[in-house]
Amino acid sequence: MNGRAVRLTVLDPSLERNRWTVGFRLILAIPHFLWLAGWFSLATMVAIANWIATLIQGTPSPMLHRFLAAYVRYAAHVAAYLTLAADPFPGFTGRPGSYAIEVEIPEPGPQNRWVTGFRLLLALPAILLADALVGFGSTAAGGGYTSAGLASTAGFLGWFYCLAQGRMAEGLRNAAVYGIGYTAQVYGYLFFFTQRYPNSDPATYEFANVYRADPIRLPVSDDLHRSRLTSFFRLLLGIPHLVWLLLWGIAVLFAVIANWVATLIRGTSPQGLHNFLAAYLRYQTHVYAFLQLVANPFPGFAGEPGSYPVDVEIDGPGRQNRWVTGFRLFLAIPALLVSSALTTAAFLAAIYSWFHGLFRGQVPRGLRNLGAYQLRYQAQTYAYLYLLTSKYPYSGPSAGWQMTLTPEPQPPQPQQT
Amino acid sequence: MAGSLLWPTEVPGDLRPPDLDPRAFFNQSDIEAAQSYELFTTINTILSTIVLVVVLALYARHGERFTRESAAGRIGTGMLLGMLGFAFVWFAQLPFGLVQLWWDRRHDVSEVGYLDHVVTSWLSLGSVFLFVCVAIAIVMALARPFRDQWWIPGTAAFVGLALLFAFVAPYLVPDQSPLRNGRLDRAAHELARKQGVSDIPVKVEDVDEFTDEPNAFAVGLGPTRRVILWNTLLDPPFSDREVRVVIAHELGHHSRNHIWKSFGWFALLAAPMALLVAFATRGRGGIYEARAVPLALFVVIVLQIGVSPLQNVISRRLESEADWVALETARDPKAQREVFRDLTRTSVTDPDPPSWTVALFGTHPTAMHRIEMAEAWRVRNWP
Repeated sequence: MNGRAVRLTVLDPSLERNRWTVGFRLILAIPHFLWLAGWFSLATMVAIANWIATLIQGTPSPMLHRFLAAYVRYAAHVAAYLTLAADPFPGFTGRPGSYAIEVEIPEPGPQNRWVTGFRLLLALPAILLADALVGFGSTAAGGGYTSAGLASTAGFLGWFYCLAQGRMAEGLRNAAVYGIGYTAQVYGYLFFFTQRYPNSDPATYEFANVYRADPIRLPVSDDLHRSRLTSFFRLLLGIPHLVWLLLWGIAVLFAVIANWVATLIRGTSPQGLHNFLAAYLRYQTHVYAFLQLVANPFPGFAGEPGSYPVDVEIDGPGRQNRWVTGFRLFLAIPALLVSSALTTAAFLAAIYSWFHGLFRGQVPRGLRNLGAYQLRYQAQTYAYLYLLTSKYPYSGPSAGWQMTLTPEPQPPQPQQT
Repeated sequence: MAGSLLWPTEVPGDLRPPDLDPRAFFNQSDIEAAQSYELFTTINTILSTIVLVVVLALYARHGERFTRESAAGRIGTGMLLGMLGFAFVWFAQLPFGLVQLWWDRRHDVSEVGYLDHVVTSWLSLGSVFLFVCVAIAIVMALARPFRDQWWIPGTAAFVGLALLFAFVAPYLVPDQSPLRNGRLDRAAHELARKQGVSDIPVKVEDVDEFTDEPNAFAVGLGPTRRVILWNTLLDPPFSDREVRVVIAHELGHHSRNHIWKSFGWFALLAAPMALLVAFATRGRGGIYEARAVPLALFVVIVLQIGVSPLQNVISRRLESEADWVALETARDPKAQREVFRDLTRTSVTDPDPPSWTVALFGTHPTAMHRIEMAEAWRVRNWP
């Protein structure tokens, strides 16, 4: 059976971007839109033919496989170009190794006929997740970004960043690559490149395995086990926490205002307010981790450090630029947009985890890590908003959140969910 | 002593209601249908109660193991154990609830769908969880400074909470609207004035989407007091005169301070029950320890089942007094007889059930007792 995974790698890690081509990127991409639309129509028919061939032969037709592989590569190139994950104008052929973002596609191999027969149905959860990670219509129409998926949000924000800086923000680039990479895996599964189910684990990307010494970190010591009983009642068990979160949140609102005024005046956050807000942020993350099945145990109500398998480490108060402090609410808007896009994906991951946890007694590592990625980014966003740190949230996946993860033997290929 | 203050009612001690034959008021077929319906319901209730006790007994014995599912502290873990206890109860009670629903649908008492029932009961478990968490948080927090004596401030706290809940309860009833029937509205004002509670409004709750059963109740404390009628009561077979009697009855609960009296009884019963819980859980380190929570749940439920016959006696006394006040103020014994007859028919209730079912489940006097009281009032006032 063909168990090799479809992988996306960044061949050119350069973040430099040409302001002119960035400014006119949407217009420049028009020929690609037209070409992609035509190719998509043909690819749909070829995919159906490939499905029938795979059902009959038990293995995809090499000729159809080559055609579809070129299409998937080309779609990824265009998506990377649009989201500013890569800079050069892509070619029109989807030739391997021709672009800064490369999709590695395995050779055709034997496929289970049952899994082949129901492939579209089986792929449905992954298709929905891909839509959340890239943008509405991306998987269905081959690249029409009409709503706020993670990659499209990263591209939108990256456009402003590139125009201002002449380079792409690393976090936004990596977030976009992660979304595009997952979508390529979904295509790979749908087009019979592989039998491996798409893997949402951000840790399968090289750039995500670099430890970042951010002031807000998310150590994860969760073991993937989930109690079926508490999984079934998870939402209801969370109600007391949500009520407490709401009540505590009222006090936090006033504390944030006080912290803002104090930081503007003193240039640093007062220790008492910092501790109070840090405890709330930790507690909030514990509760969301519990609700989203990113962790198993019932959390405490105090947000104590080190009390939960998905925790938030928060550095002490440091000097903050008064200008940045003054306009903090407006400056946080891009981060809130990315957080919102990630939350949509994490919400889907939570639903899938709920079913998986209920039937298998554990959650897939990929879904858990996607949830952890979202929680880490959300914690960093709120920490920035609460003035716990002046460091802007890092939007890409990173190893910071899994540094205390119990080591697990790594398979030669990325693990699948 | 406190009980002796709460016990007296306005129903004359020398009232001797006549012993009337149910067949004079109900068709034999109606009586038989109601008896068959109630027999099944009673058996189902008894079985579900037995299962409830067994499940909680097992949970009291083995529930401690769920402490490993918690990363919360002492109180948080206690909350989790409390919620999980009720989660097991929900699982165990679900089949009985579905069977009862099937039976109710068969007798046109309910129109709720099976899936609706499951989803609604699952969601309502959320409010149970919230209540359990608040209760356990209070008890376990009090157990820290007061240790084995927690039940003294605990009882006061629970009575206080219950009062608070009773105060806000009227705002939690959904789909309320004013009484739009002008004649009834004027009659309600007149009755309220007669009973000295002219500030109490009468509201209508729309429930016909879920049930055909008629009902009315008095809720609230002080400024939040009101009478709520289900809109199913405003349609035939109930006449305006009958509804007027129902309003007089519910106003009677308010005018005779029945909600306050209920709290008095609650306080009297809660104190010894809390003491027994404290005593029973001593072997597990008292309620201070989270692992004592499953046992405490079991004890509380068993005690509640144990005292329910006494609570029923109290409830029946208060209902009888409200009936008497309705007779004294509405002065319409014929309508009072009619309304109890119609209520009994539409609710498929046995008008004269065996005394043991009355003792176990009867929160209200039987239909025949109520009709007999109306007759006794008529003879006494219009001989």
